[in-house]
Amino acid sequence: MSKSLMLVLCMVLFYKLSYSQDSYTLKGIVVDENNVALTSVAVVLHPSNKGTITDSVGHFHFTNLQAGEYTIHISFIGYKPYEETVKLNGNTTYKAKLSVAYLNLQEVTITDNYAEKRKKEESLNIEIVNDQYLKQNLGGSLMNSLERLPGVTTIDIGSGQSKPVIRGLGFNRVVVVENNIKHEAQQWGADHGLEIDQYAVENIEVIKGPSSLMYGADAIGGVIDIKNRKTPINNRYGGVVDITGKSNNNLLGSSVMVYGRKNTLFGSIRATLLDYADYKVPADYVDVYGYKVPLYNNELRNTAGKEQNLHLNFGIIKDKFKSRFNVSNVHTKSGFFANAHGLEPQQVDTAMHDKSNRDILLPYQQVNHFKVTNTSSYTFDKLKLMLDIGYQHNFRQEWSRYGSHGWMPPVFPDTLDFHKNIEREFDKKVYSGNAKAFYALNEKTQLIVGFNSEFQDNQIDGRGFLMPAYQQLTMGGYAIAKHAISKKSMIQAGIRYDYGRIQINEYTDWYQTQVVEGNDTTMQYLQRADYMDRQYSNISWSVGYNYNPGKWSYKFNVGKSYRMPTAKELGANGVNYHYFRYEVGNSNLSPETSYQLDAGIEFANQTFAIGTTPFINYFPNYIYLNPTPYHNREQGAGFQIFEYTQSEVFRYGGEIHAHYEPIKHLQLGIMAEYVYSLQLSGKKEGFTIPFSPPASALINLKYHRTRISVIDNPYLTIDYRLTATQNNIVPPEEVTPGYQLVNLGMGGEIKLGRQKVMLSMQVQNLLNREYLDHTSFYRLINVPEAGRNFIVNISIPFSGAI
Amino acid sequence: MKIQIYLLVSLALSMVFNACETDKDIDTEKPVIDISFEGAKPINCETLYFGEAFELKMLLTDNVELGSYSVNIHHNFNQHSHSTEVTQCEFDEVKEAVNPFILTEDYTIPDNLRRYTTSDLVTIPSGNNDGLYDEGDYHFFISLTDHEGWSTQKGLSIKILHR
Repeated sequence: MSKSLMLVLCMVLFYKLSYSQDSYTLKGIVVDENNVALTSVAVVLHPSNKGTITDSVGHFHFTNLQAGEYTIHISFIGYKPYEETVKLNGNTTYKAKLSVAYLNLQEVTITDNYAEKRKKEESLNIEIVNDQYLKQNLGGSLMNSLERLPGVTTIDIGSGQSKPVIRGLGFNRVVVVENNIKHEAQQWGADHGLEIDQYAVENIEVIKGPSSLMYGADAIGGVIDIKNRKTPINNRYGGVVDITGKSNNNLLGSSVMVYGRKNTLFGSIRATLLDYADYKVPADYVDVYGYKVPLYNNELRNTAGKEQNLHLNFGIIKDKFKSRFNVSNVHTKSGFFANAHGLEPQQVDTAMHDKSNRDILLPYQQVNHFKVTNTSSYTFDKLKLMLDIGYQHNFRQEWSRYGSHGWMPPVFPDTLDFHKNIEREFDKKVYSGNAKAFYALNEKTQLIVGFNSEFQDNQIDGRGFLMPAYQQLTMGGYAIAKHAISKKSMIQAGIRYDYGRIQINEYTDWYQTQVVEGNDTTMQYLQRADYMDRQYSNISWSVGYNYNPGKWSYKFNVGKSYRMPTAKELGANGVNYHYFRYEVGNSNLSPETSYQLDAGIEFANQTFAIGTTPFINYFPNYIYLNPTPYHNREQGAGFQIFEYTQSEVFRYGGEIHAHYEPIKHLQLGIMAEYVYSLQLSGKKEGFTIPFSPPASALINLKYHRTRISVIDNPYLTIDYRLTATQNNIVPPEEVTPGYQLVNLGMGGEIKLGRQKVMLSMQVQNLLNREYLDHTSFYRLINVPEAGRNFIVNISIPFSGAI
Repeated sequence: MKIQIYLLVSLALSMVFNACETDKDIDTEKPVIDISFEGAKPINCETLYFGEAFELKMLLTDNVELGSYSVNIHHNFNQHSHSTEVTQCEFDEVKEAVNPFILTEDYTIPDNLRRYTTSDLVTIPSGNNDGLYDEGDYHFFISLTDHEGWSTQKGLSIKILHR
């Protein structure tokens, strides 16, 4: 956001200086290979040493220039650096077309590009990738594709779904933002993924560290900020057809996008279809809680799935005003591993399940996420106003064959208003609104003031009860100041106030349970959740400092962030069949707060760079699900009781990255990540926290050229990933042995006639290693990760004049 | 310049090697259910009878302190799984459940025990208001926890018949 402000500042400044007769203006536009305008691109003019950033439609201009020869230098993350000489002897209009550079470990080597600028201005550690990176590292889901980034791990279920974990914190502690609106679904659950279409993502920033200030409460662990900011240039239409195939789960997918712009109006539409079969693991059987389950053809029975997504966005763009609507519907249906649902591998008809590897039988889940958002901005001289509003409807059902658990009747009565095979249903509607104002106090100081609010209404249905229905209202206001002390150093500080209220609805069983009190035995409808009304408030803050003296750069940030307990943490009271647990909430939980110190040191020159980003973190009251020594008699089948509780937690860790270019075209990179967590108090004092990712390192070798024969931008990469054994566990986890993986990637662009075709291929798990992922959903039942997987993605772009 | 790089590398490395520091003693062992001794009951493939009671005989052990245990009996008429035991039992024909027997019990273990032999009397009634229970293949599922919250499960295949 500060770029826009800088831009405004620059423009105002240049405008005022440009009233001189023999001075000229150089106007221009920066576009990509498909003539899509690129915004926020750094443009530098030598020898004038003037610099600017392109605006929201890709335009830049320099004024007050003398006649003569200039060199334009343009750099932008994900694109090759651009340099060209222009002769200026009048007002000139210039068009620069950037070509894609394949993003890799060495993404940041040029000192004045966008990512570099952004990183130097942000006192927290961030990673920035674009759609090209996603295609080259295409995984089963958006988060899988991002897993390669240091400090980012995932909690996966099956081959198509995963949730983000940043430095060991996940679920409600990571905020996912799409087009400025917080993505809201059932974040508490590990058994389904993030409802985001990875084909529709253009640019992602991963902020590692507490970011509550701007992104609101919950951003304790970090933020995944998805920004779709490309605006087509005027009088053009275009699009891209993507076709994807994967060998392991026989995935076939396609995503087609068409965009266009006429004057101030622009729009685009995208449809994505994915269909995949059961995925294969390099094992003949798995050991599910002591039950040996043979796998037919190495396939995980019933893990097939499909995804159908539609996106529409349109808007208006004027000099000072911009407004954009995004409408999307993401629909997934995916099977659960049939042998692992329920108390034990119940009711698995292997003949039926093994008949086809593409069918989705019971048990399965179905998720539909509908979203409408609008982001609008208006730019004054020194002030920019932004308003975002959004509506989301998340509807999720878990289907499984009716089985009586606890005191449910053996034969399902036909008097109830839900289908007997719906185990759980969540129906969540979310209304969000954000307002933000940027104000340039002077050349060195900017102020950002903002307000966020959100209302959630979550209804439940189905035969099983786990967490209660609730309504939740949250709002927060913040003020942030950024001040440039000198050209090389910058300080930023902010404060935020949050208020939240959650009302939990009561819930009574639809069946009677036998209750024994003394000598009396009665049948009663048990009340599983009481009405609850809780209010929370908190003040968070953050102070950061950046110092960039030449080849070295330093950053430092300290902050407090906060999160309200969720409805599940407060009011759970039921069986989680996925895990064979009875989960109980705790209405006395206090809001979770976290204090974190972040640092970053980096050295970079043309051929070599090394950096580290350590952090220290303290939670006075970390909330987690604690296994107790007790069993539940009434509701389950004698399941162990897990209770939400709080404890003091101390964590530290960080990432290291280095890269070196021994010879031209060849780059060697190393990245490593490590997190250590320790509970300092409570029932599990001395233990780590659940889902702690193991230490891991990635060694990468990449060869790339601008052209070999008929192939443009060919690349070949080898990733060698080493993951350490995770010995730091807490009940009910198990020690997960370390493993080593080799992944290959290659691709390039070819021209078939006049049509450009971009090809990216991968071989994941080249050696077909059998290994367990410590944070995978199926880890506890010893299901290994996917075996060797060939992935091909073909992108066919097109464009033309309207 | 060189010194700064060395500093940076050593800082980074010290972070990694800190991983190896020793912690406060924590319990990382699961409890154990033992039914391999003479007189253990029930054992895999055993037949129990409706209208009778039997004494649950299992040896429960833990390295620090035992927690509690629970027992669940449910039908396996559709032969849905293998037991945790090595021996495979002979199953009856697959059939639909009409009035299957179901039982869930949880039991406490006295504090501060590392070794405990169960002696609970489990009664299997012959029927309920809907008539006699279905006879045939059943599952006998045992869950054991220790004081720290670690747990172990054991699943046995049994038959329950009417005498």
